[in-house]
Amino acid sequence: MKVLVSWLRELVDVPVTPEVLANDLHMAGFEVASVDPQPPSQPPDAVIDFEITANRPDCLSMIGLAREVATKYGTTLRAPRGADLGPADASRLDPLTVTIENPTGCPRYCAAIADVTVGPSPAWLVDRLTAAGIRSISNIVDITNYVLLELGHPLHAFDLDTLAGSALHIRSARAGETLTTLDGQKRALLPEMLVIADRDRAQALAGIMGGGHSEVSAATTTIAIESAWFEPTSIRKTSKRLGLSTEASHRFERGADVAAAGEALARACGLIEQIGGGTVRRGWIDACASVPAPRVVRLAYARVGAVLGADVHVDDIRRILTGLGFVLAGEAVDHTLASVPSWRVDVSRDVDLIEEVARHYGYDRLPATFPALAQVPPRPDARLEQDGELRRLATAAGFSECVTFSFISEKSAREFAPADELVAITNPLSELFAVLRPSLLPGLVDAVAHNRRHGQRDVRLFELGTRFLRGTGESRTLSLAWSGAATSEHWSGRARPADLFDLVGVVDVLGRAMGLTLQVQASVRPWLTPGRTAEVHAVDAGGGARLLGVAGHVQASLTTARDIPAHDDVLVAELDLNAVSDLVTMLGVASAHPLPRFPSIVRDLSILVDESLLAAQVRGTIQAAAPVTLVRVAVFDRYQGKGIVEGKVSVSYRLTFQALDRTLTDAEADAAMATIVDALTKAHGAVRR
Amino acid sequence: MAIADIRTQFTADLASVCTDADQKALRDQYLGRKGGAVAGLMKALGAASPDQRPALGQQINELKQHIETTLDQRLASLSSARRPAGAVDVTLPGRVPAIGRLHPLTQLRSRIEAVFARQGYEILDGPETEDDWHNFEALNMPPEHPARDMQDTLYLSGPWDRPARPVGAVRGGGPSGPRVSGADVPHPATLLRTHTSSMQIRYMESHEPPVRVIAPGRVYRRDNLDLTHTPMFQQVEGLVVGEGVTMADLKGTIIGFLRELFVPDIPVVFRPSFFPYTEPSADVFIGCQRCKGAGCSMCKRTGFIEVLGCGMVHPAVFEAVGYDATHVTGFAFGVGIERLALLMHGVEDIRLFYENDLRFLEQFPL
Ligand SMILES: [Zn+2]
Repeated sequence: MKVLVSWLRELVDVPVTPEVLANDLHMAGFEVASVDPQPPSQPPDAVIDFEITANRPDCLSMIGLAREVATKYGTTLRAPRGADLGPADASRLDPLTVTIENPTGCPRYCAAIADVTVGPSPAWLVDRLTAAGIRSISNIVDITNYVLLELGHPLHAFDLDTLAGSALHIRSARAGETLTTLDGQKRALLPEMLVIADRDRAQALAGIMGGGHSEVSAATTTIAIESAWFEPTSIRKTSKRLGLSTEASHRFERGADVAAAGEALARACGLIEQIGGGTVRRGWIDACASVPAPRVVRLAYARVGAVLGADVHVDDIRRILTGLGFVLAGEAVDHTLASVPSWRVDVSRDVDLIEEVARHYGYDRLPATFPALAQVPPRPDARLEQDGELRRLATAAGFSECVTFSFISEKSAREFAPADELVAITNPLSELFAVLRPSLLPGLVDAVAHNRRHGQRDVRLFELGTRFLRGTGESRTLSLAWSGAATSEHWSGRARPADLFDLVGVVDVLGRAMGLTLQVQASVRPWLTPGRTAEVHAVDAGGGARLLGVAGHVQASLTTARDIPAHDDVLVAELDLNAVSDLVTMLGVASAHPLPRFPSIVRDLSILVDESLLAAQVRGTIQAAAPVTLVRVAVFDRYQGKGIVEGKVSVSYRLTFQALDRTLTDAEADAAMATIVDALTKAHGAVRR
Repeated sequence: MAIADIRTQFTADLASVCTDADQKALRDQYLGRKGGAVAGLMKALGAASPDQRPALGQQINELKQHIETTLDQRLASLSSARRPAGAVDVTLPGRVPAIGRLHPLTQLRSRIEAVFARQGYEILDGPETEDDWHNFEALNMPPEHPARDMQDTLYLSGPWDRPARPVGAVRGGGPSGPRVSGADVPHPATLLRTHTSSMQIRYMESHEPPVRVIAPGRVYRRDNLDLTHTPMFQQVEGLVVGEGVTMADLKGTIIGFLRELFVPDIPVVFRPSFFPYTEPSADVFIGCQRCKGAGCSMCKRTGFIEVLGCGMVHPAVFEAVGYDATHVTGFAFGVGIERLALLMHGVEDIRLFYENDLRFLEQFPL
């Protein structure tokens, strides 16, 4: 809302400069977008552009802001005067008739008739419209716009001679009806749209824009001026539907002043005569289905202090509310009954009044205190605490945290999840953001590619966030990506490239931190390289395995498509934290065990087995065959090549035996080893070396 | 040889001294009692005329002292350069363990959480896909409310019956779960939440007042990606409800928070604003830290920068969750983490936060 200060001064005394005014209203809730100084004058003039919030349609007008100024500075408001139109009729002013067929959409419709000479507007009128950002068209159209700015009430002028039957019907559009609006667009109307029609057809889109056929032109001699009130939701829907927003629709959809319809009509008629644009006929139409009685809101004075935490004097409360047009009834000491002016569509409760008081009292005058703490605060959501710990561990393992978008392109999503698991967005702005991510990996691999393109060879990234799958919903997910060296660059030797075992080791640490026992097994995923894909399971209380996630090499086709060189492996892991949330003991209290008091015995065992035999199977056989005194099994060597038969592999285990209650004897360890070797031979044809 | 020549020769010989033995040989050559250069000069002194003798003697003495101190210095520097067995060059770079960074947005979010955790706020986590009730309607934004335009919403194709889960801790050992009858009816998610204010509703639906919570998390708007906008960003929502909670309490809380986050003397200004779910509402500004209030491009020459929105919880919100609005009052605030991060770190392009370029991430503390 662009406000020419000299125009405002006509409606209210402004005892300050435009700059001070702008700042004061800014601090009263009317954000100032700009202050444009005008040519030097006394008192100084400027155009102040205010951003009016959606709840204050009354301040989309000079009079509304003048009321704020009057309240702010305690000065007098001067409402503009309109013409005396004489008595009103409910439907008829010869030759015009008005019929409201849709009283829900249009509870009030006022009209007057003037015999006019269409021509240019006087300079002062053109200047004021120009300052407000509105182009001058003709004296009649300019006056409707002037009143819209001055009183905030949209008007429309019809060329009366073009209206078939000299009739105006406020009705819903008919199926298949069209209307060419003033902007020259031919618009297809829908039955839920409200129109102003003559006897035969729609002539205006109610509250939004007039039609070309009945437009005021240079040849117009008689006009019907409309000043109506339209139901906000209907205007809003139609405006959105047609993608057509105007000064009029902007005001009607936020809520115009139903009581101002007559006043605005009189003002327009007065201006037509004032500028010599024509003669207004006596009488007017006020077709009014219903105008609601003013709302009355009870305000207990104590409530002002209870909400604001400040001691606002009753006199201040009354002065502010009265200044803004509230009529206060009842002289009780503890409360008042405030009658809400028709233009304040936003006020219906006592807190609305308290806000008015606070705005004009000044937020800066409120004290700054602290709310009392009434109880011991609970711990943060355990999930959030765990997230924090996992993030820290990931960084300690060398991974830097990423934040990638929660929506990705459908193409990327399909590369990392089955199509029927995807959740799409109906109205994405870009196809890059069309689907909720079913995995954090597409974003992470993109981030690896970005870093790779910018000269980083060694990249370790992770993200902890939500993934979205139709089957499982939102789940907290921790994903890791690793490309390049396993060790940092150093003068003492060459760095070793990272492999799957580096990543599985990190996953193992993260799993242990959560208190999980993990099992890894070979698996297949379309986005991971076959033979280099592992599923990670967590062992639950019953000994069952629950899928936690996957780890593996990203398919080369996916990495090269992102400009990652073909020889660069990208290792990834993705863990679904929700899948195991009931097993996580992280941040719990651990109970300690005493340290063993008796020495342990360590035995090494080298066996020759088929190279296809899985390490997990050998370990399982060893553990099943061994006595309870076997406390640790570690692989310390794995060898193929010279001296080993083709297709076989030599694996060396270090076994640790220990008893809590005695010192083990060599004989016991020997016996255990014999049992284990025997079992390995039987189960896998292993040969001890 | 003249004294000056001996001095010159000594300097030349000194340059080739590398070992202790070299140094000793040079000492003998010049200072040896027999055959040393200085000893030779002393002999010659006897042959000098009596009137020349004192001056000449002084010159010889000076030369002797010069040779002695220079040789001593050389000896000291030789012994310090000697490497004991097994010595290494300790100035070579160490092996740096690989260590990653937390994302700057995570770091800032943690700082914000810590401020409020110390003040007794419970920290909540909640769903990112929402239903219309929790995102709009219960927050006093019925369908067709003009304020819905303020937040352009991203909708999901087809409602999504994602599993609901309880929000917040269980109090006093009592059963968790819906407090408001009807809140347990599953609302399928139809949109991406446009603000974390939806968490206000979720929490109040299942907890009686008093309430003191913050809810950090991702939110989504139908915005294009540019220097200052993203279709996804992070917010921290705060909510305090109880008997006697006032707007002054809101002011104190926000001022305290911003002073802790920025600097203790930062100017904080509250200006009336409009949000459907608060009444009265306020926008909060801080003094521009770049120009110290003088006006610059960052603050659009106003000296102030908007950092958050807040207000007193609207009674309609309390009614939606079944609170008695005549008994309790409350305040709520919403902070954009990216916005604060831009200001705090002097970042001019918000997209840097989502590119995940290690050269950017590594500018933030370990
Ligand atoms: Zn500045």
